[in-house]
Amino acid sequence: MKIRRISALAATVAAGALVLSACTPPGDEGTDGDGGGNAGIDEGTSINIGWNQPFYEYNSNSATGNATANAIVLYLMNSSFNYYDKDLNLVTDESFGTYEKVSDDPLTVTYTINDDVTWSDGTPVDAADMLLTWAATSGHMNTVEAEEDEEGNVTNQDEVDAGVFFNNTSAGLALVEETPEISEDGQSITLVYTKPFADWEVNFGVGVPAHVVASHALDIEDAQEAKDALIAAVNDRDAAALSPISQFWNTGFQFGNALPDDESLYLSSGAYLLEEYVNEQYVTLVANPDYTGDHAPTVERVTIRYNEDPMAQVQALENGEVDVISPQSTADVLASLEALGDGYNIITQDEGTYEHVDVMFDNGGPFDPATYGGDEATALAVRQAFLKLIPRQDIIDRLIVSLNPEAEIRNSYTSIPGSPNYDVVSAVNGMAEQFPGATDLDAATALIEEAGVETPIDVRFLYGASNVRRQQEYQLIAESAGQNGLFNVIDGGDDNWGTLLEDSSGYDASLFGWQSTSTAVSESDANYRTGGLNNFGGYSNAEVDALFDELQVETDTTRQGEILAEVETHLVDDAFGVTIFQFPGVTANNTEVEGIDPISISPTIFWNFWEWSTTATEEASS
Amino acid sequence: MLTFIIRRVLIGLGILLVSSFLLYLLVDLTIDPLEDLAQSTATNKEFLIAQRIEQLELDKPVIQRYFEWIGGIFTGDLGTAWRTNRPVGDLLQGAIISTVQLVSAATVLSILLGVAVGIVSALRQYSGFDYLITFVSFLLFSLPSFWVAVLLKQWGAIGFNDFLANPWIAWGIVIGLGIIAGFLWQLAIGGALKRRLINGAIGAAATIGALAFLQLSGWWETPNIGPVILAVTSVVIAFAVTALSTGLKNRRALYTALTCAALGVALWYPVRFYLFYYLTDYMNWGVVALLGLLAAGVGIGIGVLYRGPDWKQSARTGGIVAFLVAGLIFIDQVMSVWGPYYNSNAINGRPIPTIGDRTPNLGGNWWVGVLDSYTHLLLPTLALMLISFAGYTRYSRGSMLEVMNQDYIRTARAKGLTERTVVVRHGFRNSLIPLATIVPLDVITLIGGAIITERIFGRPGMGQLFLQSLDGAEIEPVMAYLLIVSFLAIVANIIADLIYAVLDPRIRVNA
Repeated sequence: MKIRRISALAATVAAGALVLSACTPPGDEGTDGDGGGNAGIDEGTSINIGWNQPFYEYNSNSATGNATANAIVLYLMNSSFNYYDKDLNLVTDESFGTYEKVSDDPLTVTYTINDDVTWSDGTPVDAADMLLTWAATSGHMNTVEAEEDEEGNVTNQDEVDAGVFFNNTSAGLALVEETPEISEDGQSITLVYTKPFADWEVNFGVGVPAHVVASHALDIEDAQEAKDALIAAVNDRDAAALSPISQFWNTGFQFGNALPDDESLYLSSGAYLLEEYVNEQYVTLVANPDYTGDHAPTVERVTIRYNEDPMAQVQALENGEVDVISPQSTADVLASLEALGDGYNIITQDEGTYEHVDVMFDNGGPFDPATYGGDEATALAVRQAFLKLIPRQDIIDRLIVSLNPEAEIRNSYTSIPGSPNYDVVSAVNGMAEQFPGATDLDAATALIEEAGVETPIDVRFLYGASNVRRQQEYQLIAESAGQNGLFNVIDGGDDNWGTLLEDSSGYDASLFGWQSTSTAVSESDANYRTGGLNNFGGYSNAEVDALFDELQVETDTTRQGEILAEVETHLVDDAFGVTIFQFPGVTANNTEVEGIDPISISPTIFWNFWEWSTTATEEASS
Repeated sequence: MLTFIIRRVLIGLGILLVSSFLLYLLVDLTIDPLEDLAQSTATNKEFLIAQRIEQLELDKPVIQRYFEWIGGIFTGDLGTAWRTNRPVGDLLQGAIISTVQLVSAATVLSILLGVAVGIVSALRQYSGFDYLITFVSFLLFSLPSFWVAVLLKQWGAIGFNDFLANPWIAWGIVIGLGIIAGFLWQLAIGGALKRRLINGAIGAAATIGALAFLQLSGWWETPNIGPVILAVTSVVIAFAVTALSTGLKNRRALYTALTCAALGVALWYPVRFYLFYYLTDYMNWGVVALLGLLAAGVGIGIGVLYRGPDWKQSARTGGIVAFLVAGLIFIDQVMSVWGPYYNSNAINGRPIPTIGDRTPNLGGNWWVGVLDSYTHLLLPTLALMLISFAGYTRYSRGSMLEVMNQDYIRTARAKGLTERTVVVRHGFRNSLIPLATIVPLDVITLIGGAIITERIFGRPGMGQLFLQSLDGAEIEPVMAYLLIVSFLAIVANIIADLIYAVLDPRIRVNA
């Protein structure tokens, strides 16, 4: 009985529901099938790019923000005076501004930003922004350094808080000691170097917006007032005002878990606006509708998605989640990319890091003249013999060609292959002749015999032990140098090689990579100068030092190449070491995206974003 | 009891301190924060190195740095990840949520499936089904998770998306799948040859029928539960839950279950097109939980209305059935946005992703978000499940076998209880006791073991945080991860001991 009653209740409810369904329910349209609405889904299109490290700070000049992961996003967002093209030439972007070397002695450069260039909040980009870059990275505004007692507590915390401390310094801008002058219209700034600086051209630009820094630090709402206050503070070196400015500059642009509520913390002065930021997942940039410069993009949205695992990136490419990837290259990655078949472009190219072998001059080992009673000639012969036996071509053929079929021996200590100086330098430095890629056993044997050194000569060889490629390189080198019983290359592979490099008493030769981040000629200074920071082997040649002194202050690019060629000729003659290959990189994209053409240094695949195009848009709308 | 807990907590804290000290030393040995600068060619390299040494206090002995760090922990400061200058607390917040999302679904599903299959396998000991399950579980158990993950991506995502572009299964394959399914069913149910043949035929026919229905109704293009599937599934749920909960002989419970199912079908329309429509803008997981509780309450109410001496059993059955049927309606609503989701530019006809925890530039309402996080959870959850499922199968099979050989089972049979009562009430419940100690520990292992899965699927969880920080030589986030994992391990141990004591009256924790 009861059961029947409840069944009746259920039946009533069911019937009621059916009656209700006779009216058009509001939820029927819009969610069902593909006919009606779209549940609020976004209809835009974008290029998705796979990258390995997430964006995390808008200020890429600060000590924490200085990373490629930030630089690539900022490259899309902000315009600059110049950029690298495919052949690593510096090209100016005159739709943003111009710069001119006014005088060589003292080196004086005037930077002018065009009138119509604005930040995305409408505030003009002008000399105040450039003044802030100088004030922050020249180091001349800093008034305090943290001091510590024996227990490591900061003793002058109050002074540090009250003082001015910008946390990163650029060596080049430090040479501009006087506060740069701003022109009357406020669009130009003039930098006067106390001594000439070879790489002045890649040394300066606009960083973070000055009005944002000043308005947050000094609590001024109006953009122009904020800028004026900043200019006044820098000109008067007003520590009370600069102190909060430096604090905000150091930390104010760091992103947390989400896009900041305050839109002024991620303004654009260029082609793209930062639209969405999901921590550890992706950033989305959308074309800036107000951008009027030369680098106007054709792709509406660029999304950079983050994943560290190279194979995961390859599968994401295959699954259409990303359109372009540039993973760390290994034979497996390349093989699976090639297995994707048609519909994908694979570009193998050089990266910025290069592999090289150095020998030690000052450790009492086989390459040190002191071992032979100060006999320079004997030590030189031993060094030359050793370097003649480094099987450079063999290493490339066996380990690199599978990753980059066009890989060639790098024959220059200072210049990246493909950069303007490389051909000049490698043609005259004699490395290819002195240390042939195919090795020269006869010459090496003759050198050792002439020198009369007892064989086999022990060489302690340092390299990164867990790096499989370096293990294999070591094997090839040890085998080649051991021919005719000339050298006994001792395996000194160690995972702490980075620290061990500093102490040359522990090894006689080393194998590792140097990374180039720009074509700046002064970068190589520390590697070869007497007492240079990266000159671990104690190499010393007064002529090289003199040439570097000259190079430091040489602003003429042709003459720079000539000096580098002379430097390298000395390095080859002194048998400093050999360079082997440029690290192989790989970029892959599906054919819906066109115009991807990476270069070997930052911003790698992003350098020509305005030349990209995608066919996905048409497909989706058809 | 209290003294036991206090003692265990104190010992746990001691272990935590010692292990954090040892781990700090080990991590400090492993990482080299200056490594990237050693290779740098920057002109101000010396300044950068000095600056970093000062920033990270590398000039101090490691033991002093440990005590400064642990002092910070006691005052609630977890430190900062120095590369990005982000507080570790912030980093953990996002990471923990993501990991819990991933691990909870995988744990619940693998326990349910693993225990069910393990019990059936134990009841059919030394049968073909038992051997098959043993083989499969050992196979799964020995699979490396990174490999499973890559295979899942290749077939579960890339392959399945390719299939969806033209979703048609050849009839030969449909029939083949049906025969395999029928074969498995008869293995699982067992019995004499005739019974096996009948069960096998039913299983095969049901599978072929279901696949044919999906295929012919265009289900792959617009997946939905709809009134038909909802009605069939609800009735099946009603019978299954009743059978397990009270046995089909309890007519009141069965009617309660069926009423709940019928009510669910009747409410499908108004809930889907009125309630959810108006709620769309206000939806969140709290509302979902409330609605779920409401449904369970209605089910319990129906059970109570049927009255009778054993109304509690009816209420329990009704609650479970109503909750599950409501769940189906919820899933149907989520599926209803499939069309626009599938056709959107951001998805572009490839809905099963291989990386990340959401689709960029998708937009959409709350339901789209749920669907999107579901498609992103699918493969990593499967990867974790496959492996821990195998373990649970083995555990539950072993403990069920042990229980079924006990004297009290023989007594229960001897006094004439039905086989269902013997198995479910006397056997199954007792076989869960050892599992209660394994599950908490397993959850911890899963959080740790999710490192590989998270990395390969690009989910921003704890494991990913740990790996990235280790890569970047950031000791504080690494230590925070290790501290949390060791803390959870200790807590899980204590909980396991307590649960054991509560479940098994033979155990006393009085110290």
